[in-house]
Amino acid sequence: MPPLIVCPACDLVHRGDAVSLTERTCCARCRAVLHRSRGAEVDTAIAIALCALVLFLLSNVYPLVEFHINGTTRQTTLTGAALGFYDAGHALLGVLVLATTVLAPLAQILGLLYLLLPLRRKRRARRQRTVFRLLMHIRPWTFVEVFMLGALVALVRLSAFAKVVPGIALVCCGLLMMCLAALTSRTSPEQFWHWVARSRE
Amino acid sequence: MSTVITGRRLGLLVCLQCNCPVRALKAVHPRCPRCYAHLHMRKPHSLAVTTVLLILAAILYVPANLLPVMYTRTLLDDERDTIMSGVLVLLHSGSWPIALLVFVASIVVPLLKILALAIVLYSAWRPSAQHRQQRSDLYRLIEFIGRWSMLDIYAISLLVTLVQIQSFATIAVGWGAAAFGAVVVLTMAAARTFDERLIWDEKSG
Repeated sequence: MPPLIVCPACDLVHRGDAVSLTERTCCARCRAVLHRSRGAEVDTAIAIALCALVLFLLSNVYPLVEFHINGTTRQTTLTGAALGFYDAGHALLGVLVLATTVLAPLAQILGLLYLLLPLRRKRRARRQRTVFRLLMHIRPWTFVEVFMLGALVALVRLSAFAKVVPGIALVCCGLLMMCLAALTSRTSPEQFWHWVARSRE
Repeated sequence: MSTVITGRRLGLLVCLQCNCPVRALKAVHPRCPRCYAHLHMRKPHSLAVTTVLLILAAILYVPANLLPVMYTRTLLDDERDTIMSGVLVLLHSGSWPIALLVFVASIVVPLLKILALAIVLYSAWRPSAQHRQQRSDLYRLIEFIGRWSMLDIYAISLLVTLVQIQSFATIAVGWGAAAFGAVVVLTMAAARTFDERLIWDEKSG
């Protein structure tokens, strides 16, 4: 039997030997992406993840925005923004903000490092399958890029009646957003399992 | 009538996590041999779960837009902002690109998501062979744009945290914001529980 490819979006079966796998292979019926190129290297992904980790720490330590009015200054960090909701009596919203802007990105970065560092030495991390599967469930809930735009909107609204200074963390957050996008595109499930298969050879 | 060969006809399951095709009809709880994800011929109870989540989201969409999301108390006056009035404030302060951005992200996108999901769901309850590609594209669009509605929630979170200077102004969060957050989460969850293959399944199955 030839190798088969089943479209996850419309269930159409393709003959793997009849399809030439190019950089992006799409389903013949519904045009869903069946295959992406698996050209990324483990080392590149690790480098980006480390970079993202540093940026993540910086964007949580330094203030995101500073707000000057009547001689007083207020500032907030990424975590502080989530706690703001908590203090305002909306704990669930606080959890939502914290989970999507702090916990999910952190889990993504640490989880990938945990899996990729052993893979580099042709070893397997413990509970590899479970950890990767969890990461894939968390991935769609990483909202750093949306947060960046939200921060922009807040800055514009505040600048109408006070002096607002974007902090270092805002820049770091922007760079983190790019790192996470690069990391996500390089660690698709197909790519990851391709690395795992290769490390067994 | 159909000459289309689907995974279901061949008894092939496909892992939605890693796209790996699996022949595992005899197993009671089949799992992907590669990533150990649970496998199903179709996502279990997809139609029912998605419908419930969507109805909840549609109901909450009303208070999300009518209730104030923010109360601003300054020395001069008290203001209650709904999402729409927030857009108008931005528009009057002269930053129309930002106003447009918030309008699209907070009002157009959630409404579009609810309507589009309703169309896709309706057609999955009553399968038809027409416009399948368009419906599939619509569904993929929903998945892609869904997250952007969180924008206003983040903006409010920063405003609330920063503006707590007792002598000058305070901002409090209204229940509209909670309803709005729930709409975003519910529509995202609804999109994820829907099984796109239901659009393409033939009636006879």
